[in-house]
Amino acid sequence: MTDTQSIDPRGPRVSAGITAVVVLVVIALALAGLFWPAVILFALQGVVFAVGAFAGVQRHPYGLVFRKLIRPRLKPPLELEDPKPPTFAQGVGLFVTVVGLGLSLIVPLALPIAAAAAFVAAFLNSVFDYCLGCQIYLLLVRIKAIRPA
Amino acid sequence: MQVVAALVGLVAFATVLGMLWRASQGRARIASGRIEGVALGNRATLLQLSTEVCAPCRATARVLHDVADAEVSHVEVDIADRPDLVSRFNVLQTPTTLILDRDGVVRSRIGGAVRREIVLRELERVA
Repeated sequence: MTDTQSIDPRGPRVSAGITAVVVLVVIALALAGLFWPAVILFALQGVVFAVGAFAGVQRHPYGLVFRKLIRPRLKPPLELEDPKPPTFAQGVGLFVTVVGLGLSLIVPLALPIAAAAAFVAAFLNSVFDYCLGCQIYLLLVRIKAIRPA
Repeated sequence: MQVVAALVGLVAFATVLGMLWRASQGRARIASGRIEGVALGNRATLLQLSTEVCAPCRATARVLHDVADAEVSHVEVDIADRPDLVSRFNVLQTPTTLILDRDGVVRSRIGGAVRREIVLRELERVA
């Protein structure tokens, strides 16, 4: 962890809050019978996850909202955070979105279910500071899917 | 109307889940076992099990580093380097902190982010 890369830990929580609202709208659209609008919005959220996962959470589109509008009004954070966990979490979000979108073409109900899973993760992250990415990483290390150098 | 009920239900479910999780964080419980291959403190050792991807591990490392002194050592281990500890202690979350007495015997474990007063209380209890 290098200090030049460290991020304000409140940034990812704000982003997770925006994500939670977006996927909640996806669920509402899907349950209201507006399948394609729901698919399109969920796919857009998937693009946001992809940017966060591959370009790094520092370049996350929702992170811009935090940096431009919110952070200037706050005191500096007590401590900075490694960007690795939230970046990994974006990858988890992308995975859930892609699987959900793929399955929804066969079973439409998969769309609100995947969006609900994404909602719970984003909500817990934002409101309770729960780090799902950290848990999944631990799980992957346990089943040896990840072998860190 | 049903859509609104479903959304409210989902938010309520996630809220309960979050509250349960939060209540479980930092709780200490009695544990047993013996650890080899870790530099022990004279009085006790705070053995923190972390991963590379673990946001709350940083805050916990800070608290434990602060609690540590000449007699109590703080050792942080990446579980990828010690998979034996993961299976032996069935580590399901990071950080997990094991509190060892002077002989390297595990006396207590704390799951999740630690609270300073609980660490101090457990140290008082076991060493």
